[in-house]
Amino acid sequence: MVSYSLSENAYIKIFFHAAKHPHLPVNGVLLGRQASDVVVIEDIIPLLHHWTSLSPMMEIGLDLAKGHAEAQEMTLVGYYQASERLDDTALAPVGERVAQKIRDQFNDAVAFVIDGDKLGTGDPALLSRIHHGINILVGQTDSPSRAITLVRDHNLHEKFGDFDDHLEDVTIDWLRNNACRVESSET
Amino acid sequence: MSLQSALERLATYRANNTRASQDIFRDGLLVLQKSGFKKLGDDGKPFRWTSLEQLVLASIDVGRLDVADQCLQLIADKFPNSPRIDCLIGIRMEATEPPETALKYYADILDADSANVAIWKRRISVLRRTGKVEKAVNELMQLLDTFYTDVEGWLELADIYASCNQYDHSLQALSHVLLLTPQNPFYVLQAAETAYTSEDFYLAIKMFLTVVDMTDADDSEQLLQESTPLGITVRAWFGVKLCARRIAQNENLKSSSNTSAPKNLELLDELATERLRVAYSSSGEKGEIAKGRQEVFAWVATPLA
Repeated sequence: MVSYSLSENAYIKIFFHAAKHPHLPVNGVLLGRQASDVVVIEDIIPLLHHWTSLSPMMEIGLDLAKGHAEAQEMTLVGYYQASERLDDTALAPVGERVAQKIRDQFNDAVAFVIDGDKLGTGDPALLSRIHHGINILVGQTDSPSRAITLVRDHNLHEKFGDFDDHLEDVTIDWLRNNACRVESSET
Repeated sequence: MSLQSALERLATYRANNTRASQDIFRDGLLVLQKSGFKKLGDDGKPFRWTSLEQLVLASIDVGRLDVADQCLQLIADKFPNSPRIDCLIGIRMEATEPPETALKYYADILDADSANVAIWKRRISVLRRTGKVEKAVNELMQLLDTFYTDVEGWLELADIYASCNQYDHSLQALSHVLLLTPQNPFYVLQAAETAYTSEDFYLAIKMFLTVVDMTDADDSEQLLQESTPLGITVRAWFGVKLCARRIAQNENLKSSSNTSAPKNLELLDELATERLRVAYSSSGEKGEIAKGRQEVFAWVATPLA
């Protein structure tokens, strides 16, 4: 059984994406590597927060994200989404399609839905939507709290940009989001 | 942060109907605490009350119901029996009460006045967010039957259909939007992307090109080659390129709108490629380089078919 490990950086970026657009659905892809039984999700690339039911920019974003992943010697290993409604934790039809596309190239692809109820708590706010009961290790145990602090006290999420933002202004660094990278609290 | 600049920002958000609730709350709270709203006065210019209304909505959005209630009381005291206040009260109710309570409240108002569009829209939005999508669509269609020129209504209908994978119906709704507001390139763009999603690539490419036509800067003095595509134009060129690829890869395409195939597909593809390369090569308005250039260059370089 494959297990999944999500880096702190990846978790915080997903959190930022959701926090930046609280009343909209957001989605993106997960990047990582597989080492024997563990898929390590090292980074994420955020895609859309606008017209998330429409496909053309999603397709282009996916292609570009894939190109970027490969240049970093990583693979697309999954998909994440957050709904604008707290009670909506199903994978949207668009999500199913994207997750399938990724699974065609990477067998152990995973799809996460953000658990809106848990976002403000110190618990990891992710639900897996492909394999039930899988092990997901999220960064450090205080990664969720760290994410909350960064948003609430530092507004770091306001510097975050996704593909939709990039399409309005091509100087936005949606593939790397270096301004939102945090020092790992691991020693 | 001065009172004046806060008020100016609030006015801009109102003019653009932007839902930047965190920012509006920050600015609005400042004005409230400095009694800035009172100083606005209420003779001739209604900014005092529309700004307070704006703060009510933003406060509810960020969860500061205490501030919302405070402002709501101020407005209600000034305008008793106002339908606009009824709507605000309904929204405030939706924030804490179960949906059935809000629906009953709206039903009572609509019984007395069936043409209250604002309340009707609130009801439709509650129906949608509680999963009663079919009912929401039926009511929305009734509303649009009565109030055909309600662009917001047609946009909402298009969005509901798209979220249920009914892209043809979504496009039909958008066609009414385009009839009513033909000058808005964002709606043409939305229609182009919807057409693409419903696999009508001939229509999609045509609409993406229309967006370019509508948004490229006035090139009467400059040659097209000298201008850099910015913003929505870049998005449209990406769309053209993507459509060209799909059309080239598929010989037996059908267009549900009976749009004819584009002529000179290779030339369109070449133009789109060139425009995108320019967009990602120049230093744009801010003097900064485009990011992700390598990935885009690689993507546009992939041959048509």
